[in-house]
Amino acid sequence: MKKLISILLVLLLTVGLFSGCGKTEEQANSNQTGEKVLKIWSFTDEIKTMSVAFREKHPDVKIEYTMIPMTNGEYQTKLKSALQSGEAPDIIALEASFVREFIESDYLEDLSDLLPIAQELKTYQFTIDMATHDGKVKAYSYQATPGAMFYRRSLAKKYFGTDDPEKIQELVSDMKKFEEAAKIVKEKSKGNTYMVASVGDFTNLFFANREKPWVVDGKLYIDPKIDELFEIAKSFRQNGYEAQANQWQEGWFAGMNDSLVDAKGNPKQVFSYFLPTWGLPYVLMPNSSPKEVKIEGSDKTKKVGKDTSGDWACIRGPMPYQWGGTWIAVVKGTKNLELAKDFVKFATLDEENLKNWALGVYTNEYLKKIDPTIGDKLSQGPGDFVSSQKVVEEIVDKFDDASTSKFLAGQNSYRSFAEAAPYISLKLLQGTDDAIQRALNDPLNNYVSGKATKEQAIKQFKEAVKNTLPDLIVE
Amino acid sequence: MEQVLKKRKHSKINKNYYGYIFTAPFIIGFLLFSLYPLVYTFYLSLTDMTLMSKSYKFIGLGNFKKLFEDRFFIQSFLNTWKIWLINFIPQIGIAMLLAVWFTSTRLKIRFVGFWRTIFYLPNILMPATIAVLFFNLFSYYGPVNQIGVRIGLFKDAVDFFRSSAWTVSIVAFIQWWMWFGTTLIIIMAGMTSISPSFYESAMVDGANSWQMFTKITLPLLRPVLVYILVTSLVGGMQMFDIPYMLTDGRGSPNGSIMTMNILMYMKFSSNKGHIGAAASVGVMIFLVTSISALVIIKLLKEKESKREIKRINRGVEGYELHG
Repeated sequence: MKKLISILLVLLLTVGLFSGCGKTEEQANSNQTGEKVLKIWSFTDEIKTMSVAFREKHPDVKIEYTMIPMTNGEYQTKLKSALQSGEAPDIIALEASFVREFIESDYLEDLSDLLPIAQELKTYQFTIDMATHDGKVKAYSYQATPGAMFYRRSLAKKYFGTDDPEKIQELVSDMKKFEEAAKIVKEKSKGNTYMVASVGDFTNLFFANREKPWVVDGKLYIDPKIDELFEIAKSFRQNGYEAQANQWQEGWFAGMNDSLVDAKGNPKQVFSYFLPTWGLPYVLMPNSSPKEVKIEGSDKTKKVGKDTSGDWACIRGPMPYQWGGTWIAVVKGTKNLELAKDFVKFATLDEENLKNWALGVYTNEYLKKIDPTIGDKLSQGPGDFVSSQKVVEEIVDKFDDASTSKFLAGQNSYRSFAEAAPYISLKLLQGTDDAIQRALNDPLNNYVSGKATKEQAIKQFKEAVKNTLPDLIVE
Repeated sequence: MEQVLKKRKHSKINKNYYGYIFTAPFIIGFLLFSLYPLVYTFYLSLTDMTLMSKSYKFIGLGNFKKLFEDRFFIQSFLNTWKIWLINFIPQIGIAMLLAVWFTSTRLKIRFVGFWRTIFYLPNILMPATIAVLFFNLFSYYGPVNQIGVRIGLFKDAVDFFRSSAWTVSIVAFIQWWMWFGTTLIIIMAGMTSISPSFYESAMVDGANSWQMFTKITLPLLRPVLVYILVTSLVGGMQMFDIPYMLTDGRGSPNGSIMTMNILMYMKFSSNKGHIGAAASVGVMIFLVTSISALVIIKLLKEKESKREIKRINRGVEGYELHG
């Protein structure tokens, strides 16, 4: 009996060993039958939606889609090692925080020949600047991502006597005024309403408005704006103008549907959030409704928070900025160069596709008709701000009564973004920005919470930069 | 007769090969997946190879020179030892206590298998899951703060992951919680293999539990303890997943949970991907681990043999007294 079992086990193991090989053989076979395979790597599902839509036009193309998260930089690391070992996919998605690293490397195909199409579509110049190195355009983006400030209308009425976007904009038109407004909010709410959820919410604004880039002539340059950021951030923390609810954490989301409760059980509210174009449909809207939470010890659920839709408004805020954005590039040496280029063209420079993308044509049902295997979640809601000024101008009126506008009590956010987008410049951006700005996190927090003096914090910052970027000169 | 002899010889030679054949998969696997990467890492640590460029050159010990000037390397070295010690001492202490209780013939604790399983369970969970779980539990608006403040444990909400001391304690606690079950099982296996007749004769001689533990259990358990110490040290020096996932993957706050492995990964995943610099950290981890493991084995062995001699001498004396 024992012998029999052990023989069976050995068999099972051997089968397991060889089953791995079987699959690759299968794949190789399908390649021979003439079906073209396009390998795509990305960190968001958006590109998957794009690829399903692409297959509607190219049914003979098979797409192998791989999604890798980028929370702590896993995607970039995986991508780099794959590029070095030559096992990279055909097409890669690149996020704003690290797109420059790759554009400045020689791993990407030159896509400058698509530039005339981009000019015809009046693609926003900053999205092209971002992907240009040595006169070569190596990637294109389907979206432009100017930032805005979203605030609660009901709270504005309570504390400022008006919820009119223009008047509120005047009250927060620069950082000094923003701080004063925060003081009013705190005093009038007796500390129960915070101006922002966390200090991290407005760091982007300071980064976007520096005079010089982080690296000048191979040396770390600390812009005066960073000094300003340190002071404002400290004032917000020490005076209790912010909720200490860090971005992308539970408390941050809880502020959106009024379910934020401090440790003593007191309900707290957050007056404003700084979010870019994509932040409205992807972050603010889905989190502004009550959440069902299981009651402990029973199967029943209870609702937490309240529906805050229609209680929001959108303004420029204290300083212009942009946040995020996804670029699509072709890896050098791909066997399917033409097909890969077609994909980039379709995803970023195709008028019809961009319109469908922005207007929410790609619903789950629509995508399922093309590929029934995608599951019930993949879809693209309306409201993403696309990279082509031509398309934006054509569709902006359609958002007058879209769900995004209803959410903002009739305000057409698409129009405000359309006004802001042409003024964005990304000339300051460099490949090392992400690493440097991450290195600033801890020192900034130490200073803000009073654990370090400014000299100590700056020293910590410089040391951390030196550690992550050994080639940089830090004085 | 001759034929029989030949046959016998033949079959003997054949059987001698069996050993090689059976060990071949391991040897091949070891050479390919352990020894080769190890040697290659040593080679890489002497180059300035990066992920983003295709050419590289030899720079001798340049990487190591930079490493020893780097405050972060020293810090990560100390961090790794600190977290390992904070988790290992209670780990072995509590595992030992539980093992004594569970194997004790006097206490006769019931459902030992059940408890053992419960204690082992955390080890089965994915470290990523555990890290996310604890991150949420201890977040500023998380349940630990909510409950802690309401029952009066803390005066105000604590920002756990902004305080170095708290974060280090949480990592050490997770490591302890995940691994004391394993240690417990190994110690119990060691204890049950000690012949009960030693304890019986000790009881007849009127020894109490403490004497039995220090005079019988501990000395006979020494080989097992050496094994636990060395494996835990190797694991502890390579600590990565929990501290990496718990905060920002850079050992935040203030690099307090940046272990040597995290530093290695940081060098590898920096904007250019400094493979050479990362390999030099890897070599240092290898050296630190090997040296400390050798020291542990050597120390405990020497003690053992010295004690053995003492014990024999004492035994002889005792015998004479009795006589």
